[in-house]
Amino acid sequence: MTGGVAGPGRAAGRAAAEPGALGLAAHDRTPLVARALAGQPDTVTRGGLWALSDALTARLRADGFRRVLVRSDDPTHILRAIEGCHAVGADLWIAHTNLPDPFIEEFTRRFGIELVVGDSDRPTGVTPVAGGPARRIHMMTSGTTGEPKVAIHTLESLLSRVRSGARVSVNRAGKWLLTYQPTGFAGLQVALTAVLSHGLLVIPEERTPLGFYQAAVDHGVTQVSATATFWRSLLMVAKPGALGLRQITLGGEAVDQATLTRLRTAFPDTRITHIYASTEAGVVFAVHDGREGFPAAWLQGPVQGVELRIRDGFLHIKTPNAMRAYATEAEQPLGEDGWLKTADQCEVRDDRVYILGRQDSTINVAGSKVYPLSVERFLLGLSGVLEARVFGVPNPVAGAIVGAEVVLAEGLDPKATRMEILKACREQLPGYQVPRAFKIVDAIQVKASGKKG
Amino acid sequence: MTEQEVLGEIQRLLADIAESKGEDAPEINGQVELLGGELPIDSLDLASLVRELEDVTGHDPFKDGFIDFRTAGELARLYVR
Repeated sequence: MTGGVAGPGRAAGRAAAEPGALGLAAHDRTPLVARALAGQPDTVTRGGLWALSDALTARLRADGFRRVLVRSDDPTHILRAIEGCHAVGADLWIAHTNLPDPFIEEFTRRFGIELVVGDSDRPTGVTPVAGGPARRIHMMTSGTTGEPKVAIHTLESLLSRVRSGARVSVNRAGKWLLTYQPTGFAGLQVALTAVLSHGLLVIPEERTPLGFYQAAVDHGVTQVSATATFWRSLLMVAKPGALGLRQITLGGEAVDQATLTRLRTAFPDTRITHIYASTEAGVVFAVHDGREGFPAAWLQGPVQGVELRIRDGFLHIKTPNAMRAYATEAEQPLGEDGWLKTADQCEVRDDRVYILGRQDSTINVAGSKVYPLSVERFLLGLSGVLEARVFGVPNPVAGAIVGAEVVLAEGLDPKATRMEILKACREQLPGYQVPRAFKIVDAIQVKASGKKG
Repeated sequence: MTEQEVLGEIQRLLADIAESKGEDAPEINGQVELLGGELPIDSLDLASLVRELEDVTGHDPFKDGFIDFRTAGELARLYVR
């Protein structure tokens, strides 16, 4: 790691007996983060993270810093920033590394941030101001369109579901593959769960499907939490038998039945869970029955500590773990009555609630509304289709038409399969939902958040 | 492309659309009305035809707004360069 850091036991910032927020101990030699630095294997132990946090605590205390921003994809930096800020009662902002420098500079000015934590910690020159709110953790949304929104959380709201997850026996001392962007809500949940469950966090050297797979095999990974898109790409490169997975978790995107079924077939003995969570709402619920969507009965009363309802087709959530507010937006989705309005549109069919997709992603085809997710789900359910992306293409005749890109299984004849897919679409989808701009591609671009681009 | 060449492309693309719908490939000429009922296509098929023509010709005549057309010939002329 970095030089000049207080070694284990040499408590600079606080008494060695003080437990801190993450339950680390100065003399604990258990590996916590396994990664490769410049090609060399590198491990940070729990005691090592304790020492790094302690050094940061000392610095924050000495310089009176109360507003800290961490900008790094190394969870070691993010975790020591959380621990250090918690120890001195400072506010923390967690920033994505793919945001441009000018954005971050304007951001630090706007919020009066005094220290930027990363590979080297850098004071911004802002004079520290005493007092004000403290111990808030600001998380950024993935910012699909435009600038990311900033949600105000507390360590308590972030740790609530982590604590219960860490107690589940299948998660004890697990080895977690960090597939998500480490600075995002889902990535932080995985990192915190690894810390609280005395697990190991595995960071691949290369963030490609093969890089993730290799890291998982090399480190004997047992738990993988990832987007459905990630899972489909992993299934294209992995030999499932080479992975001894205890827990498969899908989150960050609505999950389709075809992917759940493929995972069940590939990993017959692994617990498979899909999670509804967002930066704004926190972790809301987990579904373990292997079916997409969630039981409609959950709309009737509290489930997993939260309440759910559908209003005007949108999912509303009442949860103690939601953000307090957006720090950046004028319009707040959290009502006075405690219900958080999501942009996820839902449909109840029989005993199940299905998530159709986000309001802002619908395609207007000649006046008919198309949910890209539902067409993606249909395509993924066809044999030979490994991955699919559906999007709107502006069109002079219809306003917009449905565009689709699909990745085919190896060895299929592209021309014949294309005709089969289009035929299935024409036979089984309403005309306006049929992809009219259709392309077979080798791969589909994935964003830093692990979602489709 | 000349008008005749674009008409040839329209003929070929309509044959693809017809085939994917399990219909016979239609014979077309410049006078046939695209949505006049003689061809086995609807307005969404026409939307995809226009999209494909943009790919084939490398030209989008509608980029500054919609231009009226009824017949295959009128459509073909929009792509002549």
